[in-house]
Amino acid sequence: MKNQNKGQIRIIEAFLAVLIIFSAFAVSANLTVSQKETRHNELAALGLQTLMKLDSDGNLSCLIDSGDWFSLREALKLALPSGVVFNLTVYNEQMQQVNTEVISNGAFSSQDIAFIEYLCTSENPVFRCYILHFYLGVAS
Amino acid sequence: MVILVVSAMASTSKLLYPYLNNGLDENIRERYREISKYMLLNVGEPENWGQNSQVTPETFGLAKAGAFNAYELDVDKVSRLNSENLYALSYADIFLALKMSDVSFRIEIKPIFEVSINLTASFNETDSKIYQFEILTEKHGSRVQANLKCYIIAENYFNITDTVQSSGRTSLNITLSNNVNGPALLIVLAKSIYEQGITSFSAYAFAHNSAEPHPKGTFLKLSPVNYNLTASFLHSEIVLQDAYALTFNYNSSLTQTGNNSQSATYNIPRFLDSSPIIIVVTGQNSTDFFIEWTAYPQIPFRIGADFSNSQTLSNVFSYTYTVSIDSALYQCNIWLGGPNQ
Repeated sequence: MKNQNKGQIRIIEAFLAVLIIFSAFAVSANLTVSQKETRHNELAALGLQTLMKLDSDGNLSCLIDSGDWFSLREALKLALPSGVVFNLTVYNEQMQQVNTEVISNGAFSSQDIAFIEYLCTSENPVFRCYILHFYLGVAS
Repeated sequence: MVILVVSAMASTSKLLYPYLNNGLDENIRERYREISKYMLLNVGEPENWGQNSQVTPETFGLAKAGAFNAYELDVDKVSRLNSENLYALSYADIFLALKMSDVSFRIEIKPIFEVSINLTASFNETDSKIYQFEILTEKHGSRVQANLKCYIIAENYFNITDTVQSSGRTSLNITLSNNVNGPALLIVLAKSIYEQGITSFSAYAFAHNSAEPHPKGTFLKLSPVNYNLTASFLHSEIVLQDAYALTFNYNSSLTQTGNNSQSATYNIPRFLDSSPIIIVVTGQNSTDFFIEWTAYPQIPFRIGADFSNSQTLSNVFSYTYTVSIDSALYQCNIWLGGPNQ
């Protein structure tokens, strides 16, 4: 009887030990996600702020209206800090891609990519609305 | 069994330790990020503390009161962070106004790209001298395509060049008559060809029919606040001559509105131009001609704690923002750190 109880307790102990080990993995995995989220938030805030600043004097919509993708890329390159990689895609109201050239300063080298969706309105007499998908990452 | 449980506990703590520590760092990073945003989005108290040169803010904030856009900073609040300004706040003033006793900080505001001027050669002509300059517009070593506007100022001499388009490196020849007396000052204002709001500037003083120019700030301390310039004399025998306000598209002579034995004041016009205003004042110290200049907003500058050699601080984080001051764009870096925990 005593030996049988001993066996049961050991099974419970083993179960608890396994639970502790797995919970350690589970918790640490979540902590890593929260770190990535903080970095994403910082990049996203930086990207949003940059788009807002370029849009504040109407230059952003002007470049999109005129299809001057090279100038848009150069303006973004200049306004963003060095070491930030970006890729911008411009869509119209029907979600059809407007930019005919790639608006990017390089390839993303990591999985840590922040995403921003920004709405930009044209200052032309004909009302146009553009949806910008802006991806940002840190260059390695 | 005991070994299994103990090893499980040990491995758990070992696995969790760096993540828990990083988690703490992430909380601090997040807190500091909010503080840096607070500095740039809050107007402070009183909200016009920048314009009133005698006021020290009770609450710190650099945003422009009534600004239409986020991250739009007040030209006077920014100028009063520069130690060259007579009405500059000290680190202690800002620290107290920030009301966060456990946070040390450093603030830097500068143009988004740099302009550098090098005198590469000079040639004597019969009645003039030609100076050859190399002008570079760069951001971290990468060339920046920009339009350049150059102003040349000497004693009773003022000249403007046509706008020059530069691919990042350009050569400029300046011809000065032998009748003109120096030292002379070349001011270059640069505007990105892709974004009109991104501007930068630089100045280069050089000898022409004169001795080598003295360093900036030898004769006058120039303090622009609330669109008024105070030129404080640093020597007793100073007589002022001309004063100019220069932007990329416009320029104006400044009219003196007051003077005494220690300083003179001028009104600064409000130009509708997305460009910093470069203020130049010329004068004589005894018999020596001099030129002093400053920018309005008074940038670039750095104020605050130096974290580079700090042993007592940990968790120093830096944040970069693109800010606008009078519709021109600048880069603002904020470092925040706290005591070791």
